[in-house]
Amino acid sequence: MTLGGYEFRLQRRATLPGWKAALFSILAVLFGLALFSIIFLQAGQNPVEIYKQIFSYAFLNSYGVRLTISRFIFLALASYAFIIPAQAGLWNIGMPGQLYLGALASFGVVYLMGGKTGEMTASQPVIILLMLTAAMLAAGLFGAIAGFLKGKWGVNEIVVTMMLNFIAFYFVAFMIKDGGPFMNLGGRGESFELPEAARAPMTGGFPITLWIVFILMVMLQVLFSRMGLGYQIRAFGKSPAAARYAGIKPFMIAVLVFSLGGAIAGLSGYHYFAAVPGVYKIARTYGYFGDLAFYGVICGLISLGNPVATLPVALLFGGLSIGGRYAQGKLHLGFGVDYALMGVLMISLVAFQFFYNYQILITKKEKKLDVAISD
Amino acid sequence: MLPFLIRSLEAAMIFTFAGLGELVDQRSGILNVGLEGIMLFGATLGFIAAKTTGNYFIGFMVGLGIGAALGLLHGFFSISLGVDQVVSGMGIWIFGFGMTTYIGNPYTGPLGLDKLPTILGVSPFFYLAVIMVVLVWFVLSKTGLGLQIRSVGERPSVAQVSGISVTRIRYMSVIFGGMMSGFAGAVYALYYNPVWNYNFLMGWGFISLALVFFSMWNPYILFGGAVLFGLLWQLALNPQMFFPGLASRYIWRMVPFIMTILVLVLISSKWFRSRWGATKPEALGQPYHKE
Repeated sequence: MTLGGYEFRLQRRATLPGWKAALFSILAVLFGLALFSIIFLQAGQNPVEIYKQIFSYAFLNSYGVRLTISRFIFLALASYAFIIPAQAGLWNIGMPGQLYLGALASFGVVYLMGGKTGEMTASQPVIILLMLTAAMLAAGLFGAIAGFLKGKWGVNEIVVTMMLNFIAFYFVAFMIKDGGPFMNLGGRGESFELPEAARAPMTGGFPITLWIVFILMVMLQVLFSRMGLGYQIRAFGKSPAAARYAGIKPFMIAVLVFSLGGAIAGLSGYHYFAAVPGVYKIARTYGYFGDLAFYGVICGLISLGNPVATLPVALLFGGLSIGGRYAQGKLHLGFGVDYALMGVLMISLVAFQFFYNYQILITKKEKKLDVAISD
Repeated sequence: MLPFLIRSLEAAMIFTFAGLGELVDQRSGILNVGLEGIMLFGATLGFIAAKTTGNYFIGFMVGLGIGAALGLLHGFFSISLGVDQVVSGMGIWIFGFGMTTYIGNPYTGPLGLDKLPTILGVSPFFYLAVIMVVLVWFVLSKTGLGLQIRSVGERPSVAQVSGISVTRIRYMSVIFGGMMSGFAGAVYALYYNPVWNYNFLMGWGFISLALVFFSMWNPYILFGGAVLFGLLWQLALNPQMFFPGLASRYIWRMVPFIMTILVLVLISSKWFRSRWGATKPEALGQPYHKE
């Protein structure tokens, strides 16, 4: 295409320097936020003013900050659950299902120890450790189903993880509603409340799950940049065929990444239902919380699978979604502002994928001279 | 028993509409995994339009329109911008899920219009679905246009040199696919389940996607699969008809999703795959760059 004597050409990028990728990610978020202001305009509000309120509530208000951190922990774990399979080129959108299983398993530990009827005697550290282990095991196994089917027969993991979400959703309903074993004795269609000893301990005002996030960040960073296994996962993600020739076993990789991803999603389920002050039960509306895990897809894509970069993104989105809820209440907007924000950020990110793949070359067009050659 | 069968066929017609659109889409080489998002949009906006105007026709038109727009968007991302098709489809799904949750919430509840008439007890849309199955089969396998669509999905570079515009055919296909999904969503919300609720589509878009893989890109097999899933779905909702008192209703609700996974496993078996591999559009999922 030529315009005003300049030629515009699209060229596929071979490589993308890290700072440019970061720049595009920031631009994608800014573009998404600008796009999202339509919702505020439609409600007759000044978007700049609203964003100011959202940010100051989420990051400056002492109550808001606590909610933001809690949401941040959840989103960071959900993002890691997405990132590990994504590094192997596989799509895990089964975080909601995996986190339900994780939550159920940790409540199951308490149930088996008599926590529902108040007969629990075990000490707190033992209970917490068992709950965490159970959450990771159950969710890891549940996640492994998708990896197993993918690795063994090449079954489409997107559809499988989505179907598993619904299966887990109804399994939770079975456990906590209609007289299910975990049902609240008052019969309100929600789970029994965790006794004092089974609630996640707080350190410095934040639940221990915050430390788990940081530990995982270091572990994943080491896995992907220092270890042979991490290299194998990434090589498989870049080119499954080439990886196979290099002796990498696709079956092993698929099962491994989905088990790890699932286990981490299980921790996010543990966090939301057993570590957030004021909750400590599987609420009737657990489906709303589970689906927020899809934010993890966006965080993972925007940070290009980098475990360290994921954290600031998760913090930003955590704050935005909490602040969005706050603005929703204050402006009497409809339910689900945080879901709408998720949708807009996602579509903006997809549009910006273009810049990750292509660059626009602009060159001044040389005038062709028709000169007769004569001597 | 009869209402059970009718309900099953009516569920099947929705899978069929969405699946047929996706089938044409994939035949042209474009994979759209975001059809759940398009269906959610068609369902929600169609529902709101019909509820506020009291006019069914407007509701269906809105469903078709938003479907076409989202199909176009997917085309723009994946054909013109060269974005990975799975990323774009996932984007459209999360966009649809997030936005419709917000947009639809104030309209939570029943539609409140007189139910649409039936022909011999079955929704007229069922007959339309059957006609569409035959029509899509006819166009794909008996007409020049169908040949163009298929060639673009198999060998885009060869199609291009023989004078077919790959971009044009693919755009046409994704817009058609989007319209069908949007319409399927509208039929779901305006006829099958006219009560808006959070995420009320229950993954039917993903099930339709699975049906396309199952169909080996053949409209007739797709329709057969849709009827099978319609029956299963009704069984899961009314287990007391066949298995009174056996297991909780929530356990039965899991059945269609488990079956979807089993069907996917089945079509990934060696026997199926040798046939499947032969019919799969060669260029499915690959962006085409004009040389």
